[in-house]
Amino acid sequence: MCGISAVFAYHPDAPPVDRDEVEAITQRMYPRGPDAGGTWFSDDGRVGLGSRRLAIIDLTPDGIQPMTDVSGQLVIVFNGEIYNHHDLRKRLERNGARFRSHSDTEVLLEMYKHDGPAMVDLLRGMYAFTILDKRDGRLFVARDPYGIKPLYIADDGRTVRIASQVKALLAGGRISRASDPAGVAGFFVTGSVPEPFTTFAAIRAVEAGSCFFVDASGPTAASCHYSIAEIYQRARSQEAVGTLVDPATLLGEFVHESLAYHLVSDVPVGAFLSAGIDSTTLVALIAEARREPPRTVTLSFEEFRGREQDEAPLAARFAAEIGAQHTTRIVTREEFLADMPRFFDQMDQPTIDGTNTWFVSKATAEQKLKVAISGLGGDELFGSYPSFRELPRIVRLARVPFATRLLRNPKAKSIARYGRSLAGAYLVKRGLFMPEELSLVLGDEAAREGLERLNIIERIRGVLDVDPGTDFGRIAALESTLYMRNQLLRDTDWASMAHSLEVRTPLVDAFLLRQLAPLLVVGGSKSKDHFAGSARPPLPDYLRNRRKTGFSVPLKEWLNLPPDGTTTRMRSWARHVFERVGS
Amino acid sequence: MKILLLCTDAYGGHGGIALFNRELVSALAELPEVEQIVVVPRIIVHEREPIPDHVQFVFAAARGRVSYLRALLRVLRETKFDLVICGHVNLLPLARLARQQPLLITHGIEAWKPLRDPLSNRLIHHVRGVVSVSALTRDRLLSWSHFAGETFVLPNAVRRERYGIRPKNQALVERYMLEGKRVLLTLGRIVAAERYKGFDEVLEVLPQLDRDVVYVVAGRGSDVDRLAQKARDLGVADRTIFTGFIEEREKADLYNLADVYVMPSRGEGFGFVFLEAMACGVPVIASCHDGGREALRGGELGTLVDPSNLAAIRVAIIDALAQKERQVPEGLSFFAFERFSERVHAIVRRVTS
Repeated sequence: MCGISAVFAYHPDAPPVDRDEVEAITQRMYPRGPDAGGTWFSDDGRVGLGSRRLAIIDLTPDGIQPMTDVSGQLVIVFNGEIYNHHDLRKRLERNGARFRSHSDTEVLLEMYKHDGPAMVDLLRGMYAFTILDKRDGRLFVARDPYGIKPLYIADDGRTVRIASQVKALLAGGRISRASDPAGVAGFFVTGSVPEPFTTFAAIRAVEAGSCFFVDASGPTAASCHYSIAEIYQRARSQEAVGTLVDPATLLGEFVHESLAYHLVSDVPVGAFLSAGIDSTTLVALIAEARREPPRTVTLSFEEFRGREQDEAPLAARFAAEIGAQHTTRIVTREEFLADMPRFFDQMDQPTIDGTNTWFVSKATAEQKLKVAISGLGGDELFGSYPSFRELPRIVRLARVPFATRLLRNPKAKSIARYGRSLAGAYLVKRGLFMPEELSLVLGDEAAREGLERLNIIERIRGVLDVDPGTDFGRIAALESTLYMRNQLLRDTDWASMAHSLEVRTPLVDAFLLRQLAPLLVVGGSKSKDHFAGSARPPLPDYLRNRRKTGFSVPLKEWLNLPPDGTTTRMRSWARHVFERVGS
Repeated sequence: MKILLLCTDAYGGHGGIALFNRELVSALAELPEVEQIVVVPRIIVHEREPIPDHVQFVFAAARGRVSYLRALLRVLRETKFDLVICGHVNLLPLARLARQQPLLITHGIEAWKPLRDPLSNRLIHHVRGVVSVSALTRDRLLSWSHFAGETFVLPNAVRRERYGIRPKNQALVERYMLEGKRVLLTLGRIVAAERYKGFDEVLEVLPQLDRDVVYVVAGRGSDVDRLAQKARDLGVADRTIFTGFIEEREKADLYNLADVYVMPSRGEGFGFVFLEAMACGVPVIASCHDGGREALRGGELGTLVDPSNLAAIRVAIIDALAQKERQVPEGLSFFAFERFSERVHAIVRRVTS
């Protein structure tokens, strides 16, 4: 787990790479990798690579980056983990490869030599990396299927700059800070900046599940190696597979496998624990697999005491029952206010989320842990968000003439306006500000320009260009590709890395989704029950029967946010965030 | 000792379960303390193999359900058995007629989820023990049934002397037009209800392989037309050969046509075909998510792939095709009949002690 950077002056007219720029970009990512750091520059001055390293696999100096292969022709910087690196290494060794280290980084180098760009299809993990191939002077760039690890690119037509964080690219001092109205509009509409936009016009996110080259003519067209919608579509023709095995049994097997891969580490692995099904089941499965439970961490807030949002008592009870070494970490308003300057400094792009991950990561790092397992992704995978039930209802309702006029719902007008399609219904459900409200926030011109380029409905609809074929598959694809990628995963990345903690998400795994999709398509939203039933012993009833609350933080109380028409006052919080991180 | 085996098929049966039962009977017959084995089969589909001494094969049972029940009751009236072996979960209600706890054998998918018949689900808890052809099948059965009794893993046996590395049979090469081709082979039933064998996945990978690589789909079934259409849609119809039903006597020659045996299935309880292919020195590719994993001894004898990952299947095929020499893996001796027989004897002694 690291922060990486690359600067490639690909055009003959481009000035040579400025070493100070690469150093500055890399140094801005120091918290992502406090264990080691380094830069590498090509002899001709056209390429500079940088890395900050958080050592998790192969703690020796052999794992240090930038790393060069045995032949000296390939140089890599890599952020993430390749969980199946042992399997891949064995295969490469059978084919004649020899290794100098035990690191997964070196496996990537050898795979590139052996398989070329097709290597990405074989990688199980979270990753963003670039490999300089000196033989043909090209840079190969790849990002993992779900977009767990971030990667941003800025191309000025002569030089390409790549880094794990937007703020790191800006720290190099060579990129325009001109705002991108589409990114800004996207933030206010969805609560996070939707990829590929950022709030800066010059910087784009590298598409998740894609790879491409940068050669003498610049970045080539990206090719996608994974599509969540396609996985669900394919699963429809595999019903025989989905009904072959008892669902809880099969779910348990596949999640066990995913967990086993996600536990590969040369340092101890802890776990975030709430009172929800996903984290408790994962912790139970870890305990079952390892014969000892992981160290667990739960947050507690005075403001929630005695209310159903307070997950600490049930989490502590469960941890005690399975014998986990558990920490309940109390977070106060004072601590929150004291942390805010650093919180906003580390927030890479504006977002209304991330506070919870910030504190639970901080608490976990205090336990001297560098890696934690999170249940993130369970709701998208098992269809347990309310959206799985509500979106089809919204669409049905919106299609009945005049029906929305009878609604008392504050979103009634939006339902009437957008709800006739699944994409529109998704916007209504997940939207923070509706597009027509944006001029009140941004002004008429910025709102119009931003919304025009953002084209939010088409952007949502685009996720379903390949039709998953069922409402479950469609909503799962929307939630995974939009909300989870743009908000949950991105926020988990910056908020955990700010504390030098690597968060692993066994339920966000491209291999797992492919394996489970036939089962999920058959089982639909019952899948969460099957998941809860997959632990041995099964989860206790006080967890299984608990109403879902989400992982929230008492922002409203802490900041005394002004009323904004929402119960959580997230619109006020969004304005607060944007004033500090938006430009 | 007198042993009763209730089974779906054995002598005169086709497929993996029939073969397993024949080997089981042969192993039981080697036990010195066994004086009589009575085998009651549900079906006989073709000419019967030789039946060992002191084995009574009740032909009359295979004429239908009523005949089966009548034959079983007659056998139970005539003989008092020391051990009743129930060769399939579907036969558990009938095994109950023997008025003693049977030893249950589970082969694969029939035991991977609760049975349709609630009675059988209950009866599982009243067996003397459960024998499974793989640890995977055992674990899946235990997972939903919560059976708390004794369990045994008894993998299939392969008799290497029936196979071996042979030159390609020219008649078959000509019949399937394989001259100068590199051959991928899958052998199995091709029916819509078993659309988990991995035929689809191999077909989907085929366009990404060199043009001289062809896919021989061996077997018959109701899903052949769909697969043929899929091959046309993928532009590989000229590289896909459907052989139809393969006679037992042609199997060794068929395997010897192959450069790679590939079956990324999700539904094998064990996967006897892998043993057969390996006994012919053919590199094999199996699934890491079904019993094939154990037939390949966790990857020691061949390559395991995730059947949902087409890229992994493609790479495994390319790597296997690159193997220069064919050889029968040494580790295959783990599945020799002698070892199988030892395991059977240990199980019988354990459950009758």
